[in-house]
Amino acid sequence: MPEDGKYGRRRWVVLGIGLIFLICAWALGLTPAGLVPPDATRWERTGEFFKAALNPAFDYEDPDVPEDADPIWIKGLKGVFLTLKFAFGAMSLAVPVALLMGFLGSSSWWPTPCPRGLKVMLRGVYLLSRFFMSLLRSIHELIWALLILSAFGMSPLAGMVALALPFSGTLGKVFSELIDEEARDAAFALKAIGHRPVQTFLVGTLPAALPNLITYSFYRFECALRSSAVLGFVGIETIGLYIELSHEEFYYREVWTYFYLLLALIIIVDFWGAGIRKRLNSSPGGCRA
Amino acid sequence: MSERVAELRRAREKSHFLRLSAVVVAVGIAWAWLTGGPLLGRLPAERRWENFKNFAAELVPSPVRKSGNWSDAGPWAWELLTDEGFLALATTLGIATAAIILSASLVLPLLPLASRELSRPDPFGLWAGRTGRFRRWIRKVPGPVTRFGFVLARAVPEYIVAFLLIALLGLQVWPLVLALAIHNLGILGRLWGEVVENAEPAAARHALAAGQSREGAFLSRILPENFNRFLIYFFYRWETCVKDATVLGMLGLLTLGKLIALSKGFFWDRMFFYILLGASVILIGDLLSTFLRRKLR
Repeated sequence: MPEDGKYGRRRWVVLGIGLIFLICAWALGLTPAGLVPPDATRWERTGEFFKAALNPAFDYEDPDVPEDADPIWIKGLKGVFLTLKFAFGAMSLAVPVALLMGFLGSSSWWPTPCPRGLKVMLRGVYLLSRFFMSLLRSIHELIWALLILSAFGMSPLAGMVALALPFSGTLGKVFSELIDEEARDAAFALKAIGHRPVQTFLVGTLPAALPNLITYSFYRFECALRSSAVLGFVGIETIGLYIELSHEEFYYREVWTYFYLLLALIIIVDFWGAGIRKRLNSSPGGCRA
Repeated sequence: MSERVAELRRAREKSHFLRLSAVVVAVGIAWAWLTGGPLLGRLPAERRWENFKNFAAELVPSPVRKSGNWSDAGPWAWELLTDEGFLALATTLGIATAAIILSASLVLPLLPLASRELSRPDPFGLWAGRTGRFRRWIRKVPGPVTRFGFVLARAVPEYIVAFLLIALLGLQVWPLVLALAIHNLGILGRLWGEVVENAEPAAARHALAAGQSREGAFLSRILPENFNRFLIYFFYRWETCVKDATVLGMLGLLTLGKLIALSKGFFWDRMFFYILLGASVILIGDLLSTFLRRKLR
């Protein structure tokens, strides 16, 4: 069994984490009483809201909907497709950019042995692209959306770029790590028979890393779907916008209809992704964002 | 030679599923770019450029705009920080930390149920005593149910859940903590579930064969053996929680998100300052978590 020196700290880690939770809860004023709706109207609304979960709307609750409007499930499906479309657009921007940055931010394609001047330059490029990727990543997509929409006005492209920026940062970072972690046997063999460094990279390292790159991109696509729904809240037409608008009018049954459709979409894509992972035989790499 | 290549090509693994997926993705991308209204919206380009110039000019801190001297930016920034900035920072970090710990403590007891190996009628293929057909059948239920519960929990976008919960519980910290905790419950369930499934089974098998319960084998063997792996994922999710907690404040609570949302439209310089503040916190959280994860590996 494990010796104390290496593993004896486990219980202190667990206790420490518990203590940190208590401190946070105390500082934030998290009391069990806060879990109960504060007044009678909210109690009522909570009840209504959860009752509506069992009884989603199949027809508009809004009395002012024009006669010729699409039925709600068509509108909901439209919202789902717009969400999907938006995520596709954003990912198709993010992945190529991330590939480029991931290449610049990895070191396995550097020539060995490397002349001193060149090495300094490559190191500079490496650090610069890594820093740039962290910068992109450290601003949330909603805030990017806020900035870009304020600067350039509302347009579908602006929304896609807002989503693509932080995603390319995350993808790029993970791509660079996946590339660097890939075993270099093939690359060494190619180098030994006289391939140049970049050739070695393109033929030896990149194809080996490709399954991991694909599954990770797909995992991020699942995240992009959720984010694209959330971007509805800043006014971009995805299903999030419908949820917000119905919720503002207290049409809870409509909210649940849209919400269930969104869940269905995300779950279907989750299983699709699991299928791809299984066939490409690689781990989800979920911890790498 | 080329015949040999052709033969290899024929013999390679093919998957209709993957091909179909590639086609679907390609069609999806084409559809995203080629259909729908004008990508750039309806504003003319010159107006857009004007907008942008005004916006960029207003990002400069207001005292600097008046005096033209960048040394005035220091006191301005300090005032923003002491006024609400530090408090908002602390709240953001507190929410993220509380949420991830809550979520972790909810996932842990569910893991033996969710594990494909442990929750089976015959864990690790061990004979589990003489049981009736009904009990064997009932043993097959919790695994898939728990795993689907995780899928469901991670499918809900936390921003939308927080938005809905605030309407019910009022404007306080719980809705944000709960929303983050629910979403991360699903993600930790999947990531930790994979740790359990990839764990070296020998010790747990041994414990089960010696008569320990499934939960006991999990707590006494699998969990301690893979402790660092569990922690790695824990810190990774903490880092993303910090990021998400920042924007959840846009729903109206005193985190950076609220300050950002409030300054929007009137004080672009302040908004930009808070955004940079948020980015620096996330950057620090990112570095801290990367450091811890590297140490634990």
